[in-house]
Amino acid sequence: MPRSLPSTAHPELWFAHARRYLRSWWYMIHLGAIAIVLAFSPSTWQRERFHATARHIHASTWQVLPWFTLAACLVSLVIIRIVLVTAKSYGLSGFALEMVVRVLVLELIPLCAALFVALRASMAFDASALGLVRRALPARGASDDALRRMRGDLVPQLFANAVAVLTLALVTSIVVLLLAYLNVYGVSPWGLGDYTRTVGRVFAPSVTAGFVLKTVLFGLAVALIPTAAILELQRYPRRLVSTVQPGALRLLFVLIVIEAASLALKYI
Amino acid sequence: MTDQIPDTALPDEPKHVETKAVILLVFLGLMICGFVFYVMYARGVFEPTQRLTLVADDSTGVIPGMDMTFAGFPIGRVRQVELADTGKVNILVDVQSKDAKWLRASSVFTLESSIVGETRLRAYTGVLTDAPLPAGSTRTVLRGDATAEIPRIVATARGLLENLETMTSSGSDVNTSLSNLSAVTGRMSGRYGVLGGALGGDEEAKKLMEALDRVNLILAKADQRVFGQAGVMDDAQTAVRQLDVVLKDASATLKKVDAVLVEAQAVGANTREATEDLSALRGDVDASLRKVNRLVEEINRKWPFARTNPEIKLP
Repeated sequence: MPRSLPSTAHPELWFAHARRYLRSWWYMIHLGAIAIVLAFSPSTWQRERFHATARHIHASTWQVLPWFTLAACLVSLVIIRIVLVTAKSYGLSGFALEMVVRVLVLELIPLCAALFVALRASMAFDASALGLVRRALPARGASDDALRRMRGDLVPQLFANAVAVLTLALVTSIVVLLLAYLNVYGVSPWGLGDYTRTVGRVFAPSVTAGFVLKTVLFGLAVALIPTAAILELQRYPRRLVSTVQPGALRLLFVLIVIEAASLALKYI
Repeated sequence: MTDQIPDTALPDEPKHVETKAVILLVFLGLMICGFVFYVMYARGVFEPTQRLTLVADDSTGVIPGMDMTFAGFPIGRVRQVELADTGKVNILVDVQSKDAKWLRASSVFTLESSIVGETRLRAYTGVLTDAPLPAGSTRTVLRGDATAEIPRIVATARGLLENLETMTSSGSDVNTSLSNLSAVTGRMSGRYGVLGGALGGDEEAKKLMEALDRVNLILAKADQRVFGQAGVMDDAQTAVRQLDVVLKDASATLKKVDAVLVEAQAVGANTREATEDLSALRGDVDASLRKVNRLVEEINRKWPFARTNPEIKLP
């Protein structure tokens, strides 16, 4: 098997690579725009399409919600205890609750939910679509039935993944808020007023808007990027040059960018 | 052979998928609405409030949403911080109506910044029977900033340390004073003790002692001359006795003079009375002369020789 230098070693190919890279990003954005338009179209919510959406929602959210919530609560409980004990040892217990809310609810839980859904969605695509790509390699293109199946499932899958991120993040956040209250005040209703004021102080309008926007963007990224990567592979099968999950690196990059931008807007 | 992927549901698809999806979507919608409602409630959107404006010089540490506490309990929330036309900072605080009773016209508001922790806005009410604080009031907030005191404390401490260094350096006033004190105490430990230390040495103390001895000798002699036999005091006593006799004689003489004066007063009184009688006598004489004049004029008119010697010359 002949060996060759990587493409980056040829400066004459840099322009072509940059163009292909930008075209790939544009393809993803274009696909996301189409998916959003289709999601708000009445025809998408016909009985037949809704069945597909319901099937994806069931698979991506209903089946994993209890286990994800349980696992996230266990990890959150450990973090809450660590923060409370540490803050108490320094005499800063008054700030512990606010720190727990800011760190867990605003930052860690949405990110964990997005990564979890992304991992699960990528595995689902890997099982169903990668075979299509490999099968399409010699014939330069996938079969019409396979493409129709992908396009028919695209909007439901996007919607289901976005709903999964939102639901997992929101449910886990609410449960963690309850756990934080129980850890700080115990099983007593007398701390409710103070707790409510602390939560209200954390969730300023800008912070709340940023939290909702970040979660929605996480959902869109998780739903869109793996799907776009696999569809792009079906259109351009020669780009399968790596054994890495299609779109995984790009998804990770986008998630980090969203999280960093959120932190920068909130705290800088 | 072509792989046909069916469009319909998979054979192992769970039951009631659509129902579960609808339940999840409704649950998600309810959670979002409930979360937004709770956050709005926690932010005090539904609480009836009254506005209080606090005026401060500096807004450092004051952020919208922070609590204003009374006795440790949050009773209000900072809604807005703005820079007024006067250059002061207006802190707009929404006080919950149910807790506004704790604020009175005499209430004091403080803004405390500590080195560790957040800035605290507090209200103090000393007299709870005062008139309630009216809505829309404007009050000046007192600022207690621990960090603001640090530069002043550092500057003061630096000056103090410099002074201390100056005081303790070699050749400083304190060291000179201490060495002088050491010399004085060294002299005090000599033969003449404190006297030697105060006068600068044993020689001077010895001179002082000799002077004192001479003074004592002089005093003994003076005592002999003044209080001894035939001394000044004896002569003085004799003189005093003679003076007493002279004074008694003088007193008798003065009594005689006094009697003479009484007599003189009597003579004077008689003289005054005589003078008064002389005036009456003179009036009688004048009347008699006038009568004689009239008589002479009458004789002159009736005298036959009035034409030759018509006039009688009275002496």
